[in-house]
Amino acid sequence: MIYLILRRGALSLATLFLLASFIFFATEVLPGDALDVSLSADELAMMPPEVLARRKAELGLDRPILERYLSFLGGLLTFDLGRTIITRAAVADIVTMPLRNSLALAGVTLLLALPVALAIAMAAAHAKGRVLDNAVSGAAIIGYSIPEFVTGLLLIAVFAVWWPLFPATVTASTDDPLGVLLAAAPLAIATTIIGSIAYLGRILRVGLIEVMASDFVERLHLSGIPRWRILWLHALPAAMIPGLSAAALYAAALVSGVVVVELVFAYPGIGAELVRAVTRREVHVVQAIALAAAICVVLFNLVADLSIAALDPRTRR
Amino acid sequence: MIITRRALGGLALAPAAAAAQPSAPRHGGTITVAQCSANRFVASPQTARHPYFTVDLTTRIPYNALVWVDRQMRLQPELATAWAPATADQSVWDVMLRPGVRFHDGSPLRPEDVVASFELHRRRNFASGQIQKIEAMADGRVRFTLDAGNSEFPYVLAEYQNMIMPAAPLETIGNTGIGTGPFRFASTDPNRVAVYERNPAYWREGYPYLDRIELHNREGQQETALAGLRAGQFDMVMTIDPRSVRGLQRDADLVVDSGGGGHHYVIQLPKHPGSPFEDKRVRQALALSVDREAIVRLVYGEGNGWIGNDSHLVAADPNFLPLPRLPRAEAVARARTLLAAAGHPNGLNLGTLYWSPQSPEVGRYFQVLQETAREAGLTLALEQRPADGYVQFRTGDNDLSKGSFHRFAMTAVGPRNPGISLFRMRGEFVESGHWRGPEQDTYMALYAEAMREGDAARRRDIFHRMQRLLHEEVPALLPGGTMTFSVRRRHVQGFEFHPQIWSVRFDEVWRG
Repeated sequence: MIYLILRRGALSLATLFLLASFIFFATEVLPGDALDVSLSADELAMMPPEVLARRKAELGLDRPILERYLSFLGGLLTFDLGRTIITRAAVADIVTMPLRNSLALAGVTLLLALPVALAIAMAAAHAKGRVLDNAVSGAAIIGYSIPEFVTGLLLIAVFAVWWPLFPATVTASTDDPLGVLLAAAPLAIATTIIGSIAYLGRILRVGLIEVMASDFVERLHLSGIPRWRILWLHALPAAMIPGLSAAALYAAALVSGVVVVELVFAYPGIGAELVRAVTRREVHVVQAIALAAAICVVLFNLVADLSIAALDPRTRR
Repeated sequence: MIITRRALGGLALAPAAAAAQPSAPRHGGTITVAQCSANRFVASPQTARHPYFTVDLTTRIPYNALVWVDRQMRLQPELATAWAPATADQSVWDVMLRPGVRFHDGSPLRPEDVVASFELHRRRNFASGQIQKIEAMADGRVRFTLDAGNSEFPYVLAEYQNMIMPAAPLETIGNTGIGTGPFRFASTDPNRVAVYERNPAYWREGYPYLDRIELHNREGQQETALAGLRAGQFDMVMTIDPRSVRGLQRDADLVVDSGGGGHHYVIQLPKHPGSPFEDKRVRQALALSVDREAIVRLVYGEGNGWIGNDSHLVAADPNFLPLPRLPRAEAVARARTLLAAAGHPNGLNLGTLYWSPQSPEVGRYFQVLQETAREAGLTLALEQRPADGYVQFRTGDNDLSKGSFHRFAMTAVGPRNPGISLFRMRGEFVESGHWRGPEQDTYMALYAEAMREGDAARRRDIFHRMQRLLHEEVPALLPGGTMTFSVRRRHVQGFEFHPQIWSVRFDEVWRG
């Protein structure tokens, strides 16, 4: 197991190095630079070329790309994410709180969605082929198919405008305590939860049904063990193994993938910050956010792989 | 109905304004405002209170400039009580500061603060590069020395970035957020929220009425902002899409305000070798072929827009000279005649017109333009480009010798005084499509004459001559634009929107 941890850890680090390199070159080849994009047409037209060149030099935008790449990697090793090109603010200051907020949104979503999805999946698997299963499957497909911005706008229309129970938009500040922020975002959380329950419920239901149809479950049935006991104690752990991989990928995607929800509700998360950074061509911020998303994917996958290895000894080989 | 210049320069939208039942002004309370216009500069924790970076176009909440431009685009005193040229050629201006003004930290406003502020502005603000020297005089005056005479220089003192800050080194000036405005910063969340509290020592005695303003940035999120308004989270949403106006006006709880003539679009017509726009007759044909009334009617809705005159002036400007009106059939016939004379009796393909979604209605604007130009035999393709990097794409290299030409493309422009607006049609600037020739020389000679001219009536005559030149030459196409709109809940009173969004004031706003 220790060898497996070391091997998977080394592989994750190598993956992160490759991802970091890819992120750097992908963001550096975008047309235009931060200074060009930050200036208005008036300013660009009125600024003498020598002044523009001097400002680019001041910002290091005239340095060779290899030099900037090495500087980028060196910065990562020392946890220095650099400074924004225009305002010279520390990138860490800009991304830390939005990242915290997105992680909190993803965490709350998973905490609430996983048990519900599991319960729904078990009920559907238990009642396979019957009305309940069909209803759950249909609802899951609908819930998963509806774009999150539609769900969000629908929730706003019903629960904020027509029936004003909850706030329509998040007015809390980026650095408010998490309790304050999450309390200000009930509809944003509900929107991500609806999609998550639909997705995770479907994955877990399929896994449970497959396991329930397997030979060892058949043997347990023939041994006279009650169906609910088979479901809870035997089928569920076996079905969790493929579910874990799916949940890990889903959790990573939640952190960086809730851009639409964040924009619909003005939730101060990393997705909204990424959109802003791309628009302003703040390359260092884009790199930091992309890297944070990559770390989430690699880390969650590592945790899922190690959990599966702990649950299923066959995978350790 | 097409909005007239008089209506644009007047008060807020009559139906909405009349519906409001104003109460007597009273002190106290908080209003929460959402701002939907794009924030051009991104703020950091260090700069979020700086007048260049605070939530877009709301600098007059914590700050003041020397001069303010009112809703009729007239100069009004702000931190300056008087201004006048000190030399006959108007290249030196003296500005008298208002006595007794204090910054939020209690320190008095001094000429040295103005000097320090403009040392920054003349380096960073696009309209202030003409300032060569700023001097603090002994009697509370500040002297500005310009690189040439400019009779409209006081408008530069009202520009949206040119706020007055306590003196500090160039690198740090403005970062504290200390100004002389009616409210002072209580907290900021860069690019997202700014919270202001009443400045008890504000120089306008008895103002402001409100205790607190919460300002939320909702650029590109109008639907979210309006949902927040309807849910009672926001008291006001600024800079809304004109298409939303009619629906919002039907809501008895809401009041829609118009600021008058707001932004419009300039379509640059490149005149590099091989371009169809080298031929003046083609430019004239295009100007005649575009059905401007249809654009205003279909894109903005009745009463929400105005017809442009192919200059950067907006219809609300008192110096605006409308284009001669022609019946549609006659305009199309004339356009066809011009095209035939230019060697295109069967019509002409103008190529691709590029546009960027700088506001929600832009796509429909150019579809109407495309369809109406077709009636005169002018065909053009439309291609949307992302806002990101659009400036570089549109302007090209600007150096014709390198062959990297600017594009047949649009961009949005806002209302300003003629001195700034008409200067945008100079040959060196891309928005004129690098217009050259004796007519352009005449135009710039008139411009220089106008800037030296101290008499407003004579200056207006010169501006009219310049606009007639533009009507004839059509260096660029500016078919029309829209008014600025905001919407508020009925209890927000005393608010007036403004053609220049950056000149909106909250001093006299109260909660009814």
